[in-house]
Amino acid sequence: MRSKLTRRRFLAGTAAAGVTAVGVACPAIARAAEGQWGDLVGRFIYDGKAPERKKLTVDKDVDCCGKFDIRDESLMVGPDGGLANVFVYLRSRIAAVSTAVEKSLPKRVVLDNRDCIFQPHCMGVWYGKQEFLIINSDPVAQNVDFKPMGDTPANIVLPAYDAKKSPDKKVEATWKFAQAQFAPILIKCNYHPWESGYILIRSNPYHAVSAADGTFRIAKLPVGKLEFQLWHERVTYLDAPGWPKGRCEIAIRPDRNDLGTIRLAPTRLERKS
Amino acid sequence: MNDALAPNGLNPEPRTLNPFPALNPEPRTLTPFVCLLLALLAAGCRRAGPQFRLNMEGRPPESVSQQQAKAITEALTGLFGTPDEPKVSTGVDLDLELLRRASGPIAGAPGGQERGLFRRQCVTCHGVSGDGAGPTAAELDPYPRDFRNGVFKYTSTRGGVKPIMMDLRRTLYRGVAGTAMPSFAQLPEEEIDALLEYVKYFGVRGQTELYLFQMVVDDDGALPLDQSQVMEEGVLPAAQSWFEPERRRAELVAKPPPRPPTDTPERLATSIAKGRELYLSTNSQCTKCHGPEGNGQGEQSELYDDWNKRKKGETPERTAELARFFTLPIERLRPRNLHEGVFRGGGTPIDLYRRVCVGIKGTPMPAAGSAPGVPGVLSDEEVWQVVEYVRSLGGSRQ
Repeated sequence: MRSKLTRRRFLAGTAAAGVTAVGVACPAIARAAEGQWGDLVGRFIYDGKAPERKKLTVDKDVDCCGKFDIRDESLMVGPDGGLANVFVYLRSRIAAVSTAVEKSLPKRVVLDNRDCIFQPHCMGVWYGKQEFLIINSDPVAQNVDFKPMGDTPANIVLPAYDAKKSPDKKVEATWKFAQAQFAPILIKCNYHPWESGYILIRSNPYHAVSAADGTFRIAKLPVGKLEFQLWHERVTYLDAPGWPKGRCEIAIRPDRNDLGTIRLAPTRLERKS
Repeated sequence: MNDALAPNGLNPEPRTLNPFPALNPEPRTLTPFVCLLLALLAAGCRRAGPQFRLNMEGRPPESVSQQQAKAITEALTGLFGTPDEPKVSTGVDLDLELLRRASGPIAGAPGGQERGLFRRQCVTCHGVSGDGAGPTAAELDPYPRDFRNGVFKYTSTRGGVKPIMMDLRRTLYRGVAGTAMPSFAQLPEEEIDALLEYVKYFGVRGQTELYLFQMVVDDDGALPLDQSQVMEEGVLPAAQSWFEPERRRAELVAKPPPRPPTDTPERLATSIAKGRELYLSTNSQCTKCHGPEGNGQGEQSELYDDWNKRKKGETPERTAELARFFTLPIERLRPRNLHEGVFRGGGTPIDLYRRVCVGIKGTPMPAAGSAPGVPGVLSDEEVWQVVEYVRSLGGSRQ
């Protein structure tokens, strides 16, 4: 079922000084050159007027949560169109990971229950190397419920944070994953149904979530042809121009590989019925 | 292919539910003449046995190609065999002899042992495929357990961890109070062993199937399948998830401390009062679902277990639309009315301790007790106090 596109083209928007134009072709697998690494960067732009973010119904723990302006986070578009929360991750199986990446990676990926939402909304973790830490900064108890396929499901409660009584003491829960997932999984709170988040669990560090301005960076990928996946919570696999089913093979070259601007028409982010 | 999916499980039998009938051809009724002819030609006329139906729950039939379905079916048959002839792959610690006793058609065997125990005892509710969609399933509330995703509600294991065999054994011995699941305590021990092994087999097979669907369909994995990848990423982790809790009991099984003495009315009253306070506290959040009165009328009215959650759409129209892709209609979860004193996972103090401490798997009921890496919201002693309070609501005095 994999696309049989064989065309090769060079993406526009890579004209910045010192930027290597990126060869994109789908598909074909090649081996990474030993010991050479390159970064992959790019930016997602929502090519249209961003819809107003719907105010969510906050009808539980209203004393605490009711004071926050809690809105739908499923489509986060910045002032100049930057699209946040797009997952970009390596789909190919690889032989090696750069030791520099391993050393520089934070030891913990933190999910904070803050202002009655999950912060951040989207995150990725390299299981076995990074710990998943869940904390509660709210003065109400929080629940975190996620079900990684083939791995231990979690449904845990975090006691309320008492800033007056014990300001330095926040309850932390750590969770260990034992298996990579094909795609990000949903995180929910059974107490506060409006809360949601997504976590991608992979067996390597080669994944990123686009920032508030739509930019992303995956550092020190092995040089060679690698296949990547785009994923967004609205549509799961994000079908972008040149990325059928959100996939594309990219010839990673040493140093910087800039995909430039990837423009996404609003129809590409419409929820599947 | 659409008509192959049973609408809302009205007739949820493997024969009608198979969305890929061409893959599992139904046994044809042979005319006596043809049968005689075949008998003469092949010295026998054998019916094809039943097949496991593919786990298409929640998937529109058109989302899976014939080629993909065939690849998944063949991989599963190669790894796990059929309802009549189960197989065990290297590295999967299942007892084939026990599986043989539990599987297959109901029959005697040399030495007086019976085969087909699952079909004799369980299939009416749980179905040949272990999908919880046997012929009576649609009439039952709650539905029979679908074994295929390996989630079992009542365990002694920490949050999310698979049950140890003693947990499932307990369920078979006692049944599930307030449901159609009866006690099987009258069965000989070795038959219980065989049935438990078969349930575990459904779990390992079912989890492998979910993996294959993700790999082949969702992720568009290349065909033919890479057998070593399927073993490494699908079968072995699934098997391991079942065997880990037994191997790492000290870490993964909650060990309740002795119940604090409640031998005098004063001690009991103190414990109940503390339990009530904890029950009502915002930290434990018990009232969210069970209500301040403990009558199951909390503010959370839209609750579903994992088997039903996927059937709930964002709008009623979407929910109605989704119903086409599931065998059984959506069923809402009702938090237990604690005043009734009927507890599905068992009503003894230690049972209730486990429910509060480790939660109820596959439901919104979380683990309130501590676990490695997770501090929990109740200490061991506090869990006991909540248990005393809950028991007092149900009318227990001891």
